[in-house]
Amino acid sequence: MTTVPLILKEIGHRKLNFLLGLFGVVGAVTLFVFFFTASEASRKETARLMRDIGLNLRIIPKQTDMNRFWSMGFSDQTMPEDYVRRLASNRGLNYRHMLATLQKRVVWRDREVILTGILPEVSPPDAPKPSMSFTIKPGTAYVGYELAQGLGLKRGDAVEIFGKRFTIERCLSESGSEDDIRIYGHLHDVQGMVKLPGQINEIKALNCVCLTPGQDSLSILREQLERVLPEAKVIQMQAIAKAREKQRQTVERYLAFIMPFVLVVCVVWVGVLAMMNVRERRQEIGILRAIGHGSAKIAGLFLGRAVVLGAFGAAVGFAVGTGVALWFGPEIFRITAKAIKPMYVLLGWSLLGAPAFSALACFIPTTVAVTQDPAVTLSQE
Amino acid sequence: MFRFEDVSKIYRGRSREVRALDGVSLEIDPGQFVVVRGPSGSGKTTLLLMMGGMLRPTSGRVLVDGIDVYTMSDRDRARFRAERIGFVFQMFHLVPYLNVTDNVLLPAAAGKDRSARARAGGLLDRLSLSQREHHKPSELSAGERQRVAIARAVVTGPKLLLADEPTGNLDPDNAAEVIGHLAAFQRDGGTVIVVTHGTIADPHADRILQIRDGQL
Repeated sequence: MTTVPLILKEIGHRKLNFLLGLFGVVGAVTLFVFFFTASEASRKETARLMRDIGLNLRIIPKQTDMNRFWSMGFSDQTMPEDYVRRLASNRGLNYRHMLATLQKRVVWRDREVILTGILPEVSPPDAPKPSMSFTIKPGTAYVGYELAQGLGLKRGDAVEIFGKRFTIERCLSESGSEDDIRIYGHLHDVQGMVKLPGQINEIKALNCVCLTPGQDSLSILREQLERVLPEAKVIQMQAIAKAREKQRQTVERYLAFIMPFVLVVCVVWVGVLAMMNVRERRQEIGILRAIGHGSAKIAGLFLGRAVVLGAFGAAVGFAVGTGVALWFGPEIFRITAKAIKPMYVLLGWSLLGAPAFSALACFIPTTVAVTQDPAVTLSQE
Repeated sequence: MFRFEDVSKIYRGRSREVRALDGVSLEIDPGQFVVVRGPSGSGKTTLLLMMGGMLRPTSGRVLVDGIDVYTMSDRDRARFRAERIGFVFQMFHLVPYLNVTDNVLLPAAAGKDRSARARAGGLLDRLSLSQREHHKPSELSAGERQRVAIARAVVTGPKLLLADEPTGNLDPDNAAEVIGHLAAFQRDGGTVIVVTHGTIADPHADRILQIRDGQL
């Protein structure tokens, strides 16, 4: 009889031992799949939430006087609009979501407003990203909350700003910042109104959270900008950037901490059960030896059983882990249920990893089985 | 030809040594039915396992057809056992999750032999087990289990059958039947060595060896 039917028949005979082993593998795979599925959703959602806090990088002309910059809220210097495309065309940079902006404080309808022109967002070719800013069509305007409330503006209204007619596309919700007194328009419209064609005074951006803890992200960003746009400098909104990095890294550290424990417990559990299986089968091993089966056959019986256990446990664990992630993930990770989706790549990794770990756990019991002296067991009547 | 040359076996424990075999020399010719008799702890199982290539002597040589069994590699010795020797034990040692037919076909040599299944069928018929071929060992009586063990031992056509207390767990009728099957194996040209402390095999024996304190 070949090894595989022997393994399957033995599993069918000693169901409890197999089920207990399976319980261990399923537990480990379930945790692995649950954490990765839910934390991946959490990571994406965290990234989205952090991203929504705002763009944390401000690229401004190098000659900007920083005292004036902070007192005005933006640079009084300009730089060519083309800089944004030059920056975005480079691969390997840590800049994402680049938004060319021109801002100017003006008085409109007896109110001080910040006229803000923006272009559609761009990202580097090696990291295309969906836009996180709104895209404004020429001839339309977005109006800040305070301005809309104070002037009684609403969506669809036609307004004239410095001789140019705009349709209000959207009245923004309250932001609690200077954005509440902004009028957003397409960059080229605003350039025309303030007579600064082809000019911008800022590129807003977001840095990728792709550095390892301990790396100084700002100095890396500055070095990259110096290489590509020596005529500009970058300021990082530290609070936003640090909160974002910390949140991302906390989840990753948590996973890195818990998974080794789970794996060790699983390996020990499966190993102990395998050892019990070997002890229970000592006479069987002895008789197999006596009737001519060699070490390879004996080892194959136990390692093969471990592989079957691992593969079966991987499949069941993936299903259970995904189910648990879908059911409990939103509560534990504080994410929306729709953010969690089955990650079928984890099934592949589980089917590769669980049999390997199970076989590793059974290595010592298998060695014991192979080196067991059949004369000892067969003479113990 | 089976030959023991001044074979000793010493089991070393923490505080003392046990000399299970003490300078045993013997020759067994092919086709003989040999009974090795002795009380418990006399060394008869040690002698049997050594004959079967499963227990290395502390000193001396065990030769089969002029070849020292214990100079072979483990792999060659496993093949030697598979091709030449059949074992029958007091506790039967059937694999509990296999049915009768699968147990009979378990020897390594049977797996490579296409005619083994047909031969197993014939053996089960001869041993009155053909109605039991799909039963598990737990569904068989003690006598039936031992007959399955005999079928497993002879299915590959070995020249030597080693039986360690084959009737130890059987009632007299079943014991007589089992000894009868061993005798039939000898009549077909095989060599049988039975280790026992009883006398039930004596009527079939060509030789009776007494063992006491590891000495013949």
